[in-house]
Order: sequence, then structure tokens, then C-alpha cells
Amino acid sequence: MTINDLKNLGANVEEGVMRCAGNETFYLMLVPKALDVSRYDALEKALEEKDFKAAFEAAHALKGVLANLALTPILAPICEITELLRPMQEVHCEELLSKIKEEREKFVALL
Amino acid sequence: MSSFVDYRLGVKRKLLIVDDEEINRMLLTNILEKEYDILTANNGQEALKIVRKEKGRISLILLDLLMPVMDGYAFLEKVESDTVLKGIPVIVLTSERGAEVQSLTMGAADFIPKPYDAPEAILARIGRIIRLYEDTNIIGATQNDELTGLFNREYFIEYAMLFDQYYPDEAKEVIAINVNRFHVLNAMQGREFGDQVLSVIGKSIKEYVNESRGVACRYSADQFYVYVKSEGHEEKLMLSICDALKPLLDDADTRIRMGVFVGAVEGEDLAKSLDHALLACNGINDKYNRKIAYYNDKLQEKEHFDEMLIHDLDKALAEKQFKVFYQPKYAIQGDEPVLSSAEALVRWEHPELGMISPGKFIPLFEQNGMIGKVDRFVWKESARQIAEWKEKFGVTIPLSVNVSRVDVLNEGLASEMLEIVHAAGVEPKEYYLELTESAYVDNQSNIVTVAEKLREAGFCIEMDDFGTGYSSLNMLTSLPFDVLKLDMIFVRNVHRDSKAYRLVEFILDVARFLGVTVIAEGVEYREQYELLKKLGCDVIQGYYFSKPVCAAEFERFITG
Repeated sequence: MTINDLKNLGANVEEGVMRCAGNETFYLMLVPKALDVSRYDALEKALEEKDFKAAFEAAHALKGVLANLALTPILAPICEITELLRPMQEVHCEELLSKIKEEREKFVALL
Repeated sequence: MSSFVDYRLGVKRKLLIVDDEEINRMLLTNILEKEYDILTANNGQEALKIVRKEKGRISLILLDLLMPVMDGYAFLEKVESDTVLKGIPVIVLTSERGAEVQSLTMGAADFIPKPYDAPEAILARIGRIIRLYEDTNIIGATQNDELTGLFNREYFIEYAMLFDQYYPDEAKEVIAINVNRFHVLNAMQGREFGDQVLSVIGKSIKEYVNESRGVACRYSADQFYVYVKSEGHEEKLMLSICDALKPLLDDADTRIRMGVFVGAVEGEDLAKSLDHALLACNGINDKYNRKIAYYNDKLQEKEHFDEMLIHDLDKALAEKQFKVFYQPKYAIQGDEPVLSSAEALVRWEHPELGMISPGKFIPLFEQNGMIGKVDRFVWKESARQIAEWKEKFGVTIPLSVNVSRVDVLNEGLASEMLEIVHAAGVEPKEYYLELTESAYVDNQSNIVTVAEKLREAGFCIEMDDFGTGYSSLNMLTSLPFDVLKLDMIFVRNVHRDSKAYRLVEFILDVARFLGVTVIAEGVEYREQYELLKKLGCDVIQGYYFSKPVCAAEFERFITG
């Protein structure tokens, strides 16, 4: 995985690296951590169990991390789902979840 | 304070990052670790543990809001209610607008928006908040006296000057407040109790000045000042302090004295006004019938006189205006009284003022610490005199010299004394030192060390003014001294008052029990002499034998 790979996938690499105080290596070390499957599984599981509080918290946490690393393609649907879940009430967001997973897969393929 | 930490201590400050998200912690650590030592916590609860363990070594906390176990809001609540945590600034990390306002109202110092767009801005923000908090804390810590919560002296002066700016045209007054016999209170009931008394006085003064819009401070030990508009506050203030002290002290009504200087107006030197008030205050020290004194012309006159003495002291020493007089002490237990020694007493022959009574300059120089210079003159002159008489008459007349309480604080006193006697060719055992009893009470542990050193060096220690310094019997057993000098107040009525007689009898019994010699001072009449002899008093000093006389005149006692 290179900076260019991430750029090609639509990540705002300049911003992400800037937040790492200009350290590209450090940035490339953090990205896989943001793609860790357990984070996404936690969101999916909470939705399946209709635990919307847990789902909101998982989405919110992901949003923070992805925003910091500027992984824009995954961040966009994550932002949407976070807002949907904010009231912590039942919502249907299967499509958004699929979109998130789909975008994540593209990045994971680079690893 | 900030620059003190930066430049003087040269240490990295510690920051605590509280975020459940590892990537966020790593990102912030990466930005901050060059300038700070970083600690991290997963949630509020972990953070609390770390902060308590680090005990004041954390300069700032970066706090995420949404976290498991204990979230940021709960943590902020804890911080607000905890005195230790409250001093540490918290910056909230958040991406939510509403949360910013809420966290600021909950006591957060600032917030940093997520994502972390500008590392430099984050560093600058953190640096600014740390400086701000450290400086505020140090001001808070230093401007108030810890015990009473009143201003300390430096801030008192500053605030009093500010007070003048706001009330430029109104007459003001300075009230000096002091506690009668405070050192005795401390010695008898312990420092903790003394502190409690000061704290109650401080609180009472604070409440009073809050209402009357004045400024107040604890200036030193038991010395307080109030600066207010001149509206006759002193009596009301006296009443409030005495009332506040009543639950603590049975004699609260006689414990406080005040000196008032009216007319402190803008432009006049404030320090001078404080001195005037203090002078008035000290003028009624231990005068139980007067609780409030006002600075007036008579005091001003005295002040000018004192200033003149202070000004002239060095010249007087250089020109040998000071003279040492000697008052003989007679051993009376034999058939005939025998000259045993003498007390060296200083006199000042001022070229313009004539003979100045020691009562006028000794207390003054004791108060400002200059007495040491006079003492040293007397010490050297007395040592020289012993040697001269030894040479001339072939006998040693031991002389006793006074050691002021300021000298007693000097740990090198014993070696200095040895130097003086050796330089004159005199033995320490021929040279007696009189330490006042009240110095023992004021400064017990220090004086014990110094007195022991002096005795080890071979000097004989006389406890002067015994009976005026409030020693307890218990203290007497632990203090190092060889001779007890019974104050003249006991001797004065011994021949005409049975109570005084029995008291002297009792003191002589105690002295025998302790194995020390007793010298009675101020003996004037034959009846006093005979009674004291009958009671077993060893030595007598007083006008009955002779007033203090100059060296030449004294020689007739030696030749008999």
C-alpha cells in the first residue's frame, strides 16, 4: 500500500499526512488500523441486535478515526450513518452499511 | 511561573490523552511528543487513576467525550468537584458543535475540533492554556496567606494602592492588629492552637473588610493590617474579632490590640502609614486597659527620637559614646557579704542628648535587630575589663553580659564568644552570659541548642528576668542554665507581702531542687536582704549594695 494507491482510491492523502505532522510512514502505519475488521463488525453486530446506542457509538468512533486519516470514500457513508443513528432509535441503514463495507473492501485489497 | 518551569526546571511537562480510540491517541501523541511527555488513558476512569497517581505532575488533559466505562462528561463532573483535579486544565476533543459549548460550561478550558487539522494550532492552543493555568495558580497561591486567606504583604500593598486609585479623595486609615502574648499562647498550647487562633482572626477580619470594602493582610506571624476608608471602623472590627475568638479563648477580650493611623491619603507613603499604625499598636502592648491606640504627635516625637538613635548608633560605637557600667553581685550566705561578680550594663553618653537611659535604646535596638552591635561592644569591653582587673588586683571578678534574643538565634554564638574571651586572655568560666527567660519561651528548641553549646564551651548561663517570661515548671527542668536570676518584681514586695514572700520561698525551693544558684535582682532595702538571706538566696544584686557604676568607681568594691 502506497500513498498513491490511497490517493487513487479517493483518500485525501495530503490532509491525512498533514494530521500526522507530515510523517507519511506513520500515516501508512495507521491506515490498516482504521480498516481493522473488528471495528466494522461491531457496528454491524449492534445493528443486527438493534442496539442502536452501541451502533451509534461504533459509527461515531469510526467516523472520528476515518476523518482524521481522511479516508473519504468510507468516511462519507459513515458520517451519514452516524447522523441517522444519533437519535439512537430504530433506523434502516442496510444500504449504507453495504456501501461502507464495499468501500472498506477496496482499501483492504491494497494491504 | 511558566517561564520558571521552562527555563529553570528544564523539564518536559506531562500531558494525559484520554481517548478510547487508539488511532486518535497515536495521532495526538505523534503531534505532541516532541514537546511533552505523553500519558494515555482509554476512558475517564483510567484517567482518574493516572491523575491521582501522578499527584500534580500532569499539566493538561486532552479529553475525548464519547468513551466507554466513564465518558468525558462524567470525567468533567469529577474534575469540577475535586480540589486536586480542578487545578489541571482540560481540553475537550470533539467533532460536535453542541458538545463544545456544553464542555466549556462544564469547566473545560478549551476544545480542539476533530479531525485534527492543524498540528501547530493544537500545540499553540495547548501551550497557551498551560501558561494561563500555571500563572493563575501561582498568583492564587502567592497572593493569599495560606493560613488566613487574607492577602500576603506584597499583594496587600498592591491592592491598597489600587484602593487609593478608586478612592482618591477620601480619607483612609490603617489599622494594625496584633495579638497580646501570642508567643506564650504558642508555647503553652502548641503551634496548632496558635494557628487556629490566627485563622479565626483572619476570617473575622476578612468578613469585616468584605463588608466595609477594605483591604486586609496578615503581614507576619500575628501581625495584621486593615486599610479602609476612615469611617471609625476600629471599634466595630475589634468587637467582631473578639466575638469570633470567644469560643477559643476565655480571655478573648484582652487578647487583641489595635493601632490606628488616620489620614492615610493618596500620595503619602503607605509603608510609613503602616509603621505609624504599628507604632501606636505596639505602644499598648500588654496594657490590658487599652485596646485601641491612635498615632499622635507624642508618638511622632518618639518616632523621631528613635530614628535619631538608630541613625547615630554606628557613630556612637566608633566614637566610644557607649560606656559599660558594673553592678556588683554579692554572695550573702556567709557571715559577711562577699563580692562574687558583677553585671555589665551599657550606658549611652550622647553628645547632644546627654545620658540616654538603656530603657530608651535597648528595646528599640532589640526590635530592629541592631542590639547585636551594642551587645558585641559590651561583650568585648567586659572581657577586656576582667583581664585588666585580674592584672591589676590579682583576682578574677567574673562579669555577666546580656545576650539578646537575636544573638541567641545565631548558631555560631559559642565560637564567637570563645573568640572574644580568648582574645582578651580570659577563661570562659570567668565570663557569665545572661539570657532572658522570655527568649527561652519564644524560641525553645533553638535556644536550648545554643545554650548547651555555650555551656559545653565552659560559659556559665544565667536565666535573666526569671518570673516574667511565663516559663512553666515543666520547661524549667529541660532548659540548660546554671543560675536563675529572680526578677525584681518578686523582690519588691518580699518584705511586706506574705504572698510575695511565699512565692520567693517556693522559687528558691524549686531552684534547690534543680541544683541551680539563685540571684535576686533589685534588692534595695535591708529587710529584703535579710529575708532573702534567711530564705537561702545565694547572691544579691541591687541598690542595697550599689547602683551600676563605672569601672573606676567599681574598683573600690574590689579593694574592699
